Amino acid sequence: MGAWMNGSLQGYILVAMLLFIIGLATVMLRRTLLMQFMGIELMLNAANVALLAFARFRGGDVTGTVFYLFILGVAACEAAIGLALVIALFRHRKTTDADRADSLRQ
Amino acid sequence: MFLLFALITIIGALAMSQQKNVIVAGLCMVLTFLGVAGLFLMLSNPVAAALQVIVYSGAIMVLVLFTIMLLNSHEEEPAIQSRPIQRWVGALLIAVFGAFAFRIVMGSKALVDINTLADANTAVRPMEAMNLAKVGEEIFRHYLLGFEIVGLLLLAAMVGAVALTKKEL
Repeated sequence: MGAWMNGSLQGYILVAMLLFIIGLATVMLRRTLLMQFMGIELMLNAANVALLAFARFRGGDVTGTVFYLFILGVAACEAAIGLALVIALFRHRKTTDADRADSLRQ
Repeated sequence: MFLLFALITIIGALAMSQQKNVIVAGLCMVLTFLGVAGLFLMLSNPVAAALQVIVYSGAIMVLVLFTIMLLNSHEEEPAIQSRPIQRWVGALLIAVFGAFAFRIVMGSKALVDINTLADANTAVRPMEAMNLAKVGEEIFRHYLLGFEIVGLLLLAAMVGAVALTKKEL
C-alpha cells in the first residue's frame, strides 16, 4: 500500500502511463481502423491526465488547463479528419481493415 | 475516490482494447472518458472535467459511434494473412516499454519531491478549485495567438472533413 494509491502525483502519472500503454497496444495489435483511432484518443487522454496532474501539483497552475483546452481542440479536429478518412476509404474499398488498405492504387 | 476513478479508467481502457464488437468498444471508451473526468475532479479541476464530459464522451464518441453505425462494420474482419511473429514482436516491445516506464515512474525522486512540496503548500493555504474566469483571463491575456490558431484549425478541419466525405464538390 504505497502513497500512489490515495491520489499522490505518482498515482496519477501511473494511471496516465497505463492509459498510454493500453492505447499503444490497441493501435499496434488491432487491425480495425476505428479501433486504432480509439487507441489514439486513449493516448491523447493519457497526455491530458499527466498534464493536469502536474498542473495541480505545481500549485494549481492555470496554464495546464489552457493547454488542455488546446489539446481538446486538436483532438476534435483529429476526430473529424480521421473519421472522414475512414469513411472515404470505406467508400472506395468497402473495408475498415488496415491490412486491406495497403496500396495506393485501387 | 482516486482509486475508484483510476480503476474505472483502466478497466474501461482494457475492455476497449480486448473487445471484439466495435460498438461495445466505443461504449467502453465512453466509460474510460468518464473515469478520466472523475480524475480531473479529484485534481480539483472541474473546468477540465466538464469539458471532458461534454467534448470527449459527448461529441467525439458520438461521432465515432455514428461512423461505426454508418459503416455497418461492427465486427473485426477476418485477417487476410495471420502475422504471428509481428504480433508477438509488437506485444513484446509494448511490454518492454511498459516495464521501463513503470520503473522510471516508481523510482522517480522528482515526482515524490513535487508531491511533498505541494502537500506542504496546501497545508499552509488550501487548494482553490480551477474556475472558468481564471482560465479565460489566462487565455486572452497570454495565449491569444494559440487560441486563434486553434479556432482556425477547427475551421480547416471542418472544411477538410466535408471535402473528404463529399462525393463530388
